[in-house]
Amino acid sequence: MDKDCTYPAAPTLAIQGEGDRLALDGVLDIHTLTQATDALSRWAKKERAGHDGRALDLKRLSGLDTPGALLLRRLGEQGVELTNARAEHKALLGLIGELELTPLRHPAAVRRWRQLVIQLGKGADEAWHDARDVVAFVGRAANALGRALITPHGLRLPSISRQVAETGVDALPVIGLMAIMISVVIGYQGVAQLRPYGGEDFTINLVAVSMFREMGVLITAIMVAGRSGSAFTAEIGVMKAREEVDALKVMGMDAMNVLVVPRLIGLVITLPLLTFYSDVMGLVGGWVISQSLLHVSPLQYVDRVHHALAGSDLLVGLIKAPIFGFLIAVIGCMHGLRVTGSAASVGRETTRAVVAAIFVVIVLDALFSILFEKLGL
Amino acid sequence: MNPKPARDQQPILSARDIVNRFGRQQVHDRISLDVLPGEVLGIAGGSGSGKSVLLKTLTGLRRPDAGQVTLDGKPIDSIQPAEKACLIGVLFQQGALFSSLSVAQNIMLPMREHTDLPAKEQEAIAAMKLELAGLSSDVAVKVPSELSGGMVKRAALARALALDPQILFLDEPTSDLDPLTAGGIDALIGKLNHSLGVTVVIVTHDLNTLFSICQRVAVLVDGKLTIDTLEGLMHSDQPWIHAFLHGPRAQGALSARKRKHGNG
Repeated sequence: MDKDCTYPAAPTLAIQGEGDRLALDGVLDIHTLTQATDALSRWAKKERAGHDGRALDLKRLSGLDTPGALLLRRLGEQGVELTNARAEHKALLGLIGELELTPLRHPAAVRRWRQLVIQLGKGADEAWHDARDVVAFVGRAANALGRALITPHGLRLPSISRQVAETGVDALPVIGLMAIMISVVIGYQGVAQLRPYGGEDFTINLVAVSMFREMGVLITAIMVAGRSGSAFTAEIGVMKAREEVDALKVMGMDAMNVLVVPRLIGLVITLPLLTFYSDVMGLVGGWVISQSLLHVSPLQYVDRVHHALAGSDLLVGLIKAPIFGFLIAVIGCMHGLRVTGSAASVGRETTRAVVAAIFVVIVLDALFSILFEKLGL
Repeated sequence: MNPKPARDQQPILSARDIVNRFGRQQVHDRISLDVLPGEVLGIAGGSGSGKSVLLKTLTGLRRPDAGQVTLDGKPIDSIQPAEKACLIGVLFQQGALFSSLSVAQNIMLPMREHTDLPAKEQEAIAAMKLELAGLSSDVAVKVPSELSGGMVKRAALARALALDPQILFLDEPTSDLDPLTAGGIDALIGKLNHSLGVTVVIVTHDLNTLFSICQRVAVLVDGKLTIDTLEGLMHSDQPWIHAFLHGPRAQGALSARKRKHGNG
């Protein structure tokens, strides 16, 4: 890395004379400062024991900047007399001389073990507040949603339809592709594992059932959490940081109704539809696999899928979708409204929102699996 | 009070035939401008007249669609980044302090990057720059989000001064500030120009700034630049400039200037 400025040509400084009287010749600036500090402080210290007649001649000093002037001020404080300074340098020395300099304060260092304890405490406190916030926010959101649904004229339909378009229609290509890819992956594994038992035909059952019950809704929810949950946080967060949320409040509109409810309703509508779409695309992926690895004709494939799937498989998958949609939207909006002031806070909250949403989706999905198992669905 | 800029000196910064366009809209129409060493030059103009774009062009942040900017005798594109950092300092409109660093770290960043001073010395210099910008050293450990508007401007000014640049560019240094704080910033700029000898280019539409510290003013109207002393501009028959300098706000600023300069 280039460590020095070569302006104009590297400035030079010569220190001439000996004993009590030295003279500076050249430029005393930030680039020659280290050299000058070393030489002059040593000189000032060495001569201190003697007498007070030390003097530094500045007649031939052609350039001086503020760090240089600071050094000269320090020498002056040590009793060095500065002589023959040029007029422009005098002005600068005067300016620097009258500053009240205090060393920078450093924040008190904390011992490592204490830091650990402090962090632990802070973390626990934050987690507790987070949990309370989530519960309170879910309650408020549900309340606002309920009220919006009883008084339909309060529903902001244009806003909702925009959310459905942005979170749903725009996501179709990527979710379709992901669903095909995942079912291809499951298909390959199925064929490889089942072939030794001669049961590779059951790969079709495996793909169809796992896509409908679990994978379809799960990858859709994860994709939507990453795509739309983060967008909710960023959109609302920027509005919060720019005081737009406060502006809404002053104009008698509740951020909950205007910003959160349309997104909630939008995602609760969108996620089941996207899930169904991803189920269907999963079957397309399964068909690709069965064509290429199992040599099953399309008609046979449809017939096998028809026998493999029960109505409950579709239901088990789809029933989770609106719940996931609700939670992703709530988490996204909540983190958006928690943004304070700076732009950095938007980024931080967005990350948190995505992590929390995906975490909640996967944990809930596991709980649902256990529940449906107990219910015999 | 201010040292008179030497008219016969070579300009430290000059722009020749600058053209800037956004799509069909031509913001600058063959603008030329010379900045003389040691002067305080104001760049004024209405909102949207392209003041900030001109500043970006002069600092080399934006390549003009036509024309050339010369800094210290060299085309601005050809100057090495490290050298440029020692030549120009910029105070951005919102301060542009790095939000993840403390004020002291913000000021020390250019020194850390471009000099080999020991950390202790850098801290002493940073403390001095803070003091020079009128901030106490208590501010040093704060992060930008904890500062008030006026403190942000002062801290950003301290950072712009970190390497003792030859030219200081100030983008709306007094915007969003109360009149007292703004007056303090104006006085500070005047003081720095006077005692550091730094050349200052101020983009502003604050009439008080223009009247109190600028020796020459360049006014941007309809993509053209009119450069003159304020006295000269007062007699301009260009309608916008006339309205700008003879409006009720201008009268207030003018009378303040007369009080200060003893009817001069």
